[in-house]
Amino acid sequence: MEKKRKTRFLSGGYLILVLLFIYLPILYVMLFSFNDSKSMVKFSGFSLRWYESMFSNRDMLESIKYTIIIAVVATAVSTVIGTVAAIGLSKARKIIRTVVLEINNLPVLNPDIVTAIGLMLLFLSLKIRRSVVTLTLAHITFCIPYVILSILPKLRQLDDNVAEAAMDLGATPFKALTRVILPQIYPAIFSGALIAFSMSFDDFVISYFTAGMDVQNISMYVYSMKRFNPAVNALSALIVVAVTVILVLANLIPALKDRKNKKEEQET
Amino acid sequence: MKRILTLLAALVLFALPALSASAEDAEDFSGVTLNVYNWGEYIDDSVLRDFEAKYNCRVNYKNYDSNEMMYTNISAGDDPWDILVPSDYMIERLIREERLQPLDKSIVNNLDNLTDSVKNLAFDPENTYSVPYLWQSVGIVYDTTKVDPAKVEEKGWEIFLDPELKGHVYMYDSSRDAFMVALKALGFSANTDKDEEIQAAYEWLLQMNAALNPDYVTDQMIDGMAEGFKWMSLGYSGDIAYILNENEDMAFCAPKQGTNIAVDAMVIPANAGNPRLANYFIRFITEYEASLAISEFTGYASPNRQVLDELSGPGGEYEGNDAYMPRSGYELDEIFVDNLKVAAKMSDLWLRVMATK
Repeated sequence: MEKKRKTRFLSGGYLILVLLFIYLPILYVMLFSFNDSKSMVKFSGFSLRWYESMFSNRDMLESIKYTIIIAVVATAVSTVIGTVAAIGLSKARKIIRTVVLEINNLPVLNPDIVTAIGLMLLFLSLKIRRSVVTLTLAHITFCIPYVILSILPKLRQLDDNVAEAAMDLGATPFKALTRVILPQIYPAIFSGALIAFSMSFDDFVISYFTAGMDVQNISMYVYSMKRFNPAVNALSALIVVAVTVILVLANLIPALKDRKNKKEEQET
Repeated sequence: MKRILTLLAALVLFALPALSASAEDAEDFSGVTLNVYNWGEYIDDSVLRDFEAKYNCRVNYKNYDSNEMMYTNISAGDDPWDILVPSDYMIERLIREERLQPLDKSIVNNLDNLTDSVKNLAFDPENTYSVPYLWQSVGIVYDTTKVDPAKVEEKGWEIFLDPELKGHVYMYDSSRDAFMVALKALGFSANTDKDEEIQAAYEWLLQMNAALNPDYVTDQMIDGMAEGFKWMSLGYSGDIAYILNENEDMAFCAPKQGTNIAVDAMVIPANAGNPRLANYFIRFITEYEASLAISEFTGYASPNRQVLDELSGPGGEYEGNDAYMPRSGYELDEIFVDNLKVAAKMSDLWLRVMATK
């Protein structure tokens, strides 16, 4: 009994330590976004000045706008391409699957700087002027492998017979795809899209070399500061809040739907 | 009557250039975008908005965080940047590689506003290509309650070998600045390319490392010294000016052995899309109002004489602040010259110094 309590205490303490380690820095940033002075170590009073300075800074706002647009477009496109590719690969011959997967893994393992310079040289040699288009293309490119990697394992778990049964029962292959296969791998697609979104949102190196002079994303903006501007704290705090809200909603809505469905089932 | 007429004619003749000059000021650039590539957090936003309003144009303002990053990106050559703000040695390289175009001195006609010590510097002897944007020097910031000022002034860079300060020092993690300190302490030029002098500097840095066991940091030294976490640090005068305003125990020393003066200056690339507007931009920045806003925002010293006097003079934000105004006319102070080979060697040796920590 005594021993059990001890291990419980230890594992609880461990868990708290891990959580502290993850969340303390974030809380620190949020706290200092309300700081009255420029200092990053001394809290001298509550103020909203950094939020004001963030919303009055045109370049910063513009870079946030571009970051979000590019992340959304890159996520949507790479998720579609990645999902289709993963489904195709799961049905392909083993040799083809192995070769394509190896090629798919290369950009993931490759240092970003190599991809970045490679893409820059590619655009230059094709005489394409770097712009928001090349930047978005680059983001789609480096997001696709992550989507494929997150979906493929889920596809392997699927029972092939289910899709075949659907087609036996009269579904067209396309319907079998949208009504049977996609709903089964939906969680994997969702997590692939999340990874793609966060990869695109905070990418610096590849963006820096493929953006050209018309666009700048928020990472480029923050990294190039000669001296730290606490308005970045305000921005980070807002992003954390936005992400939390989205995640809560993403988890809450399916749960609510489930409950509603169950209720309806009970009533009938 | 005739005399009155000649007088009138003379008046008109005198007035005309003045009139046309003011008409030029209002030149309209509607629909034009000026592409400016500058360090991040290096300008007060209002300066850009004022410029846009005055010339009815748009400023596309983007940032880089090092000369090398900027250089890599403009080397691609597909972007017609109008204004860059590189440091001294990088300007020297850009001029050598013929990547810049000469300024239009009929537009940039206000260089008299500049203080003498930033004019006609070695990297651009006639200011043909560049006009200084901000400047600063490297120096020592120390806590007067922990370190004796007389000792710092007397020893200069040698204070970095004083074992009494062990564990209480920040050192800038930058091979260039560290080697500058070592070379100056040994009485050599900071721009030396002699192997034996670089070797001696390397050994000096090893000694420094053993004597002080410093924390190698970059911008953390700003908050660290402002809060008095350490007794002494190497730093840039602009950052130290901020520290001195935050913490009155801190003092600045420009070492007697000489130091590095760094100048960031505006240039126009050879492939600029709107060189005419770019010239107007340079003139605009060099005027009093813009210079004041930029220097107040960044804390770095302005090249504009009037701004310098005002900010460091009575009632100014940096009154009595020794660090704000870089030392000028001191024979041992040097500006970096561009030498890739030496830079690579120093960076390699610097890694070895850090590895012994």
